[in-house]
Amino acid sequence: MADHETTVTGQRNKRVIHEGPKNHYLTFALSIILTLLAFVAVSAGFSPTFTIVFIVTLAFVQALFQLVVWMHLKDRGHTHPIWGLVLGFTVALTCIAMAVWWIWW
Amino acid sequence: MSHGELTGNQLPAEPEKATLEGRNKILGFWFFLGGEMVLFGSLFATFIGLRNQIADGPAPQELINLTMTAVMTLVLLTSSLTSVMAIQAMHRKDTAKMYLWFIVTFLLGLTFLILEIIEFVEYVHHGHKFTTSAYSSAFYTLVGFHGAHVTFGLGWLLTLLIPFGRKGLTVTTAPKMYVFGLYWHFVDVVWVFVFTIVYLMGKVG
Repeated sequence: MADHETTVTGQRNKRVIHEGPKNHYLTFALSIILTLLAFVAVSAGFSPTFTIVFIVTLAFVQALFQLVVWMHLKDRGHTHPIWGLVLGFTVALTCIAMAVWWIWW
Repeated sequence: MSHGELTGNQLPAEPEKATLEGRNKILGFWFFLGGEMVLFGSLFATFIGLRNQIADGPAPQELINLTMTAVMTLVLLTSSLTSVMAIQAMHRKDTAKMYLWFIVTFLLGLTFLILEIIEFVEYVHHGHKFTTSAYSSAFYTLVGFHGAHVTFGLGWLLTLLIPFGRKGLTVTTAPKMYVFGLYWHFVDVVWVFVFTIVYLMGKVG
């Protein structure tokens, strides 16, 4: 925790080297490919269970890439934002699991 | 606040994180996004639970227009990329480019919103109204809530861009731009799940 504080407060004096837009473009390309794959999978006529698991997995992969690259979660000083998101995600997933459990089983 | 007057190349690297206030704003905003996840999570939970209760309304397989969904997805995804370009320009202290990319983001967001309204009107004409069935209520609540986030984002962006010409890029305005960028990406991330779970899963059945 102490390390983290030092990096954050010391940040102003450090020379920040920017990565440039390459990773951002790659994330865009990946998002397009994953989206396309999901649309194709739906029209390809696989079994419903397989299709649903496949496209939801693709959605999670795409969301993760956008969070990590576009929203800078991979950059330093993002420990607390990650905790905030993980907590929110845990509660959200619990909500979904419980709703599905109560209604469908 | 003694840095309030710094502009252009005098600005520190990553001006959005140069002050404690700026850093706190960003951290607070991430916690807000965690809360937004819970909000959308509960709406998704409702939708997944009720998506087969179509009553007398049209079945999603016949109703959903996937071409429209694909175009909307492309528009919103591109607007997320243009807001990345805006923040990149801000980090280069290229204020004019930042402004330009945010205007492009605004126009793409507006296009998305108009397409969504056209889509909803089309669905209502097919007998898919808010009170038609549990499915239709859950559909409009979830997709509409996302649309409301887009609408709010557009209004927010305007209130940032209009006074920006007078204020310029400073350690006070930079965190506001950055936080808006985060919000806009989040809206796009939520749309990834909306098109997967509402539209694509609707087609699968």
